[in-house]
Amino acid sequence: MKQHSKALQWAIYGGLTLWLVIASLPIVWTAIISFRQYVDAFSSPLKWTAPFTFENYRTLWIDKAFYLNFLNTALVTLGTVTISLTVGCLAGYALSRYRGALGFWLLLVALVFRAIPHSSLLPSFFTMFDALGIRNTYFALIFVLVAINQPFTIWMLRSFFINIPSELDEAALVDGCTRFQAFRKVIIPVMWPGVVTTGLFSFLLAYNDFLLSSALTNAEKMTMPAAIANAISAESEALLMQGVAGAVSITIPLIILIVFFQKQIVGGLTQGAVKG
Amino acid sequence: MARVQLKNIQKSWGTAVGVKRLSLDIADGEFLVLLGPSGCGKTTTMRMVAGLEDPSEGEIWIGERCVNALEPKDRDVAMVFQSYGLYPNMTVYENISFPLRIRGTPKAEIDPAVMRAAKQVELTDYLDRKPKALSGGQRQRVALARAIVRQPAVFLMDEPLSNLDAKLRVSMRSHIKHLHHSLGVTTIYVTHDQIEAMTLADRVVVMSKAEIQQIGTPEAIYSDPSNVFVAGFIGSPAMNLVNGNLVDGTFVATGNDFAINIPGFSGITKTNMILGVRAEDLALVEPRAAAIQAPVFTVELTGEATLVTLKLGHQFITAKADKSHRAAMGERAGFSATSERCYLFDGETELRRRLG
Repeated sequence: MKQHSKALQWAIYGGLTLWLVIASLPIVWTAIISFRQYVDAFSSPLKWTAPFTFENYRTLWIDKAFYLNFLNTALVTLGTVTISLTVGCLAGYALSRYRGALGFWLLLVALVFRAIPHSSLLPSFFTMFDALGIRNTYFALIFVLVAINQPFTIWMLRSFFINIPSELDEAALVDGCTRFQAFRKVIIPVMWPGVVTTGLFSFLLAYNDFLLSSALTNAEKMTMPAAIANAISAESEALLMQGVAGAVSITIPLIILIVFFQKQIVGGLTQGAVKG
Repeated sequence: MARVQLKNIQKSWGTAVGVKRLSLDIADGEFLVLLGPSGCGKTTTMRMVAGLEDPSEGEIWIGERCVNALEPKDRDVAMVFQSYGLYPNMTVYENISFPLRIRGTPKAEIDPAVMRAAKQVELTDYLDRKPKALSGGQRQRVALARAIVRQPAVFLMDEPLSNLDAKLRVSMRSHIKHLHHSLGVTTIYVTHDQIEAMTLADRVVVMSKAEIQQIGTPEAIYSDPSNVFVAGFIGSPAMNLVNGNLVDGTFVATGNDFAINIPGFSGITKTNMILGVRAEDLALVEPRAAAIQAPVFTVELTGEATLVTLKLGHQFITAKADKSHRAAMGERAGFSATSERCYLFDGETELRRRLG
């Protein structure tokens, strides 16, 4: 019995290690070749070692002003997350406490909008934003990202709020809170892990968006994924290497974020899963 | 501290009626228990006093104010919930002090008030803990402390002991009774547990099907029930209720299984009556001499007494005998009733038929 479980343990660790190598190899290799020149990066047969260079990063960030794309992404992501969470918390709370049939229909409609492919909405966005004269603005991009993200955040936050017994709201009301105070001082602190988790998903949606940014914005307003996609698809060796450096640059903040919020994310995810 | 008046309040959701035309006058400092089975409207009634539900009609007065239009926070009430309703992210101290902090009580007054409340419920050793590190009884004491930390006009308690185990319930019950005695605050207490109602209340309001069935002291509810529901709901084992007819002052059970003369009803004849008699008002006697006699259906030992149940036709009747009494199932046994302790109810209206 003991022997068997030890064998099983080896199998599990072996399997996981193999999976880790396979999953991380493309990312690690991208990171390695981003510090090489084109000839070394894409040589055949491939080279394990090659001269080290910061050239790709320098060209990308300074000469090609990639920092502007970084700022665009930061702005668009911040705007999307802030608006999504604010609306999502208020709507999710209200829908979790509202007992009428209308709430169900609102959620269902939200789900339908979530299900529509994003690209099918683009033609009408072009027309609409051109008519309003706001195409190629941060506002338009944030507007669309929020619209796409909102059904998901409302659903997710609502399921977190539903896990909080309404006795908590009621205790707060009797203890001396207004409705809004009960929400802000009692309910939100209790479901903070849920807010963080939902916020992270919203962040990822906005941060990783390629389709909308490349369709709705010009080069100077583009976010990072759209900008490097242009570089990678180009038929130029130098541009390709900048794309590789860009891909690595985009990944680093994500890794930092996940490591930093790991506890809340796991807490939030399991809380939603177990208590639901 | 205040008098609480409910004036003809009604709560309905569409065609469903939760509370029907209910009026109550609760004296200052009174301990009033709303008792009834689940879904009888007792919790809804309390929630309307708290302001967590709005009455569809009628007025609620606390002290000199009609509070219908007031938010819960402005009604000067404190509430204890069945599942405690503690704030899980706050320590015990923060939980107890929350009502004071949110109402902007000066800092210097908060600490002594919290310590006083914590002392009253014996929680001073746990002030730094989070609720999840406490037992059920301790959590409910935190909820009590949070209610008494302010001096509210009214305490509202919604089945506060229902989530506790049986032993703890008894000790918390005496805690609550003692607290009410020392604070003297008007208290409305909701429960489905008749023992809690009997032991705690100055007056009990028995509710069923959205309506008040009877209001009275625990003694009156127990020994002077005004209808079949109250008679059957209060007391353990439940009161024996036997269908039959009244023939010239004598109750004759359906199927002529037995007849009992009810003093004071001579000359009165009425069909479709219900006789109510409590198990402790029936004595086990020699079968041949007994008014009621039948084979023993079952014998139950409760420790403090022996419950003997007879089967008469398709009706059952239980008597409480001494704890040393032993009877064999199937053997014939006889009951005699203390006729002054027999209650007559109208079979149709289910209301008590009283003398005169």
